[in-house]
Amino acid sequence: MADLEIRDLHVRTEEHEILRGVDLEISRGEIHALMGPNGSGKSTLANTLLGHPAYEITQGSITFKGEDITAAEPHERAKAGLFLAFQYPVAIPGVSVANFLRMAINAKREQPIGVKEFRSQLEHAVELLDVDRAFTSRHLNDGFSGGEKKRAEILQMAMLQPEVAVLDETDSGLDIDALRTVAEGVQRLHDEQGLGVLIITHYQRILHYVKAHFVHVMLDGRIVLEGGVELVERLEREGYDQIRQEYGAREARSVTAGDGGA
Amino acid sequence: MTAVPERDGVGTSRQAAPAAGANGSRPQAPASGQTKPGTHREATLYRALAGAGAGDGRTLAQLREAAARAFARLEIPVWRRSGFWTTNVQSLDLDALVHGQAPASGTVPEVVARTVPERARAGRIVQSAGAVVHAELDAELRDRGVILCSLEDAFREHRQLAEPWYSKRLTIDRNKLEAANAAFWSGGAFLYVPPELAIEDPFEIVYAIEEPGVAQYGRSLVLGGQCSEFRVHEYDLAEDFSGQALHAGAFELYLQDGARCRLAQLQDWGAGEVFDLSTRLVDVGRDAYCHWLPALLGGHLVRQHLELAVSEPGGEMAFRGLFFTEGSEHLDAFAVDLHETGPSGGDVHWRGAATGESRASFEGLIQIDPGAQQTHTYLQIHAMMLSPRARVDAIPSVLVSADDVSASHGGTVGELDEAAIFYMQSRGLDRPSAVRVIVEGFFEPLIAELADEPLAQVVRAKIARKLASARADIETYATSR
Repeated sequence: MADLEIRDLHVRTEEHEILRGVDLEISRGEIHALMGPNGSGKSTLANTLLGHPAYEITQGSITFKGEDITAAEPHERAKAGLFLAFQYPVAIPGVSVANFLRMAINAKREQPIGVKEFRSQLEHAVELLDVDRAFTSRHLNDGFSGGEKKRAEILQMAMLQPEVAVLDETDSGLDIDALRTVAEGVQRLHDEQGLGVLIITHYQRILHYVKAHFVHVMLDGRIVLEGGVELVERLEREGYDQIRQEYGAREARSVTAGDGGA
Repeated sequence: MTAVPERDGVGTSRQAAPAAGANGSRPQAPASGQTKPGTHREATLYRALAGAGAGDGRTLAQLREAAARAFARLEIPVWRRSGFWTTNVQSLDLDALVHGQAPASGTVPEVVARTVPERARAGRIVQSAGAVVHAELDAELRDRGVILCSLEDAFREHRQLAEPWYSKRLTIDRNKLEAANAAFWSGGAFLYVPPELAIEDPFEIVYAIEEPGVAQYGRSLVLGGQCSEFRVHEYDLAEDFSGQALHAGAFELYLQDGARCRLAQLQDWGAGEVFDLSTRLVDVGRDAYCHWLPALLGGHLVRQHLELAVSEPGGEMAFRGLFFTEGSEHLDAFAVDLHETGPSGGDVHWRGAATGESRASFEGLIQIDPGAQQTHTYLQIHAMMLSPRARVDAIPSVLVSADDVSASHGGTVGELDEAAIFYMQSRGLDRPSAVRVIVEGFFEPLIAELADEPLAQVVRAKIARKLASARADIETYATSR
């Protein structure tokens, strides 16, 4: 049984149904890439996994380490070991990166983390993400550049040591050097801590640095294609339109078949 | 939030175009024409003192007598701003209150011991009800000429030093409670820091009310000699009793040439029905500097007139303030950034939050007098509403009578940011913790400016307690939207 199991997940906002039956399994130590065009539902899936209140689950379930977390509060999911690196990290004025991290770490623990232990973890994470130590004294995401925000997300991930992390377009808005640093950081957390990762992306770039084991393609709220990294190359060659045509044809056929059976 | 960006038709002064700033406030057009008598409706309710006080050479006895006559003549005040704000003190049963008496215990009140941090300090004076119950001053500082004593003692022992400054810029008859203070004050605090003396640890001036039925007329006079440098922390504290009490305070601080002072005030009158109607004035002399931060953290009905006046060229000030109202509290704060001469600098930055059914009004006035050229000042007010029934009015206004100046203001009013709450929840913080982080973060820029960790911790703890007690309220608000 996989650590994170998503079964037949249907999700809607006030206006629209966005996810229309998603099945996905992710275990520790696995790197998955979820690709798809804008509006296909990738970010909705990411936010739903962490329990964003704007998304309503109408059908299906999310199970993490054997526990049904479909209705769990976001902080309970985080404490269980899920993490979301936000596409648009939110500024928290007045709270330094370091203080926030201390709070978040302590939220998971019975006893507050010791000063020395915290400092050594922070130094390790700072080195991993190649940021200045002074960075952690700045107010979280407040006035950060796009690249700094994304680094701060992965810095938090390194500190909080989740078991499965969802990276929601962490690669967008990063220049090539920053992308490499961030991606290598993710790869190392996978290699060293056995992190399970779901990388959500439009592009192939980040997959040159993080070695995905599985690739899933999402269209219109469903995962329509699954495979290995060879799928990335195919997407690069053909684009989503080709897949959409094939998938559309397939769906049309199955509808026809259904009609025929009635 | 109500924002009323200008007052019109006031005397001969006019609006100068403020500097185009990054603050988002629009430049204001000059006030046009005359306002017809009788139809004039001012959005702003208060005026700066902006001038000489009652202390014009009269003796203390004469001033007390004049104030007593005003007290007899005046009614309990009601302040109304056209249409949307009233501060009404008429529910105060003044006749039932006793003033001028020492407290029963005669020692440092429990609420003071509980609240004021134990830390290194230059001196401390504590008044409970109508009498000073404790006064201490570092012996070395005493030897170097520092004076810290009750104002009563100052008039007995240092009359020549105190009297010329007493009520120099404070009036005694604008309203009944101001008159009561000037007529009947007892105890009080007097602090004198001689020229050139720099003192790191704070002087503490404490006013406490332990029981209902007390009218406390507190009076403080602080003199900073040339190039002196010091800190003053005022604490206004009461026990959580039930019943009425009054603190009508008057505070004046005069900074002479080159003096530098960091003045902080922590006010929390507790859960009792405590009325606080006070006037505080800071006069910044030539090349002097004052950093002033009142933290108004509780009181049944609080009206504060806080005026920071730069009276000589080269004076600079930073006027900070924070407030947090809860329950059914009513806060009416009027902060004046007054420039009587230039060049001078000002920077006003206030932040406030409201829970429960509380009402808070912050009126911030930048006033630049004729001739105060090369004045540069900026006022910002940020407010956070934490309950659907709470209300915060923020009313910045600018009154400029010089042309070579920049004066502008900006502000925001906000509610809890749900995106930020989800973000923090996704890191493992539960919802109440996330809310606390947001509100603490909202105040933190000002708390950090206290540059005094023991005091900062007291402020943080008080904010955390208020949030904890408003938790249900905040939850309801969040889920109702």
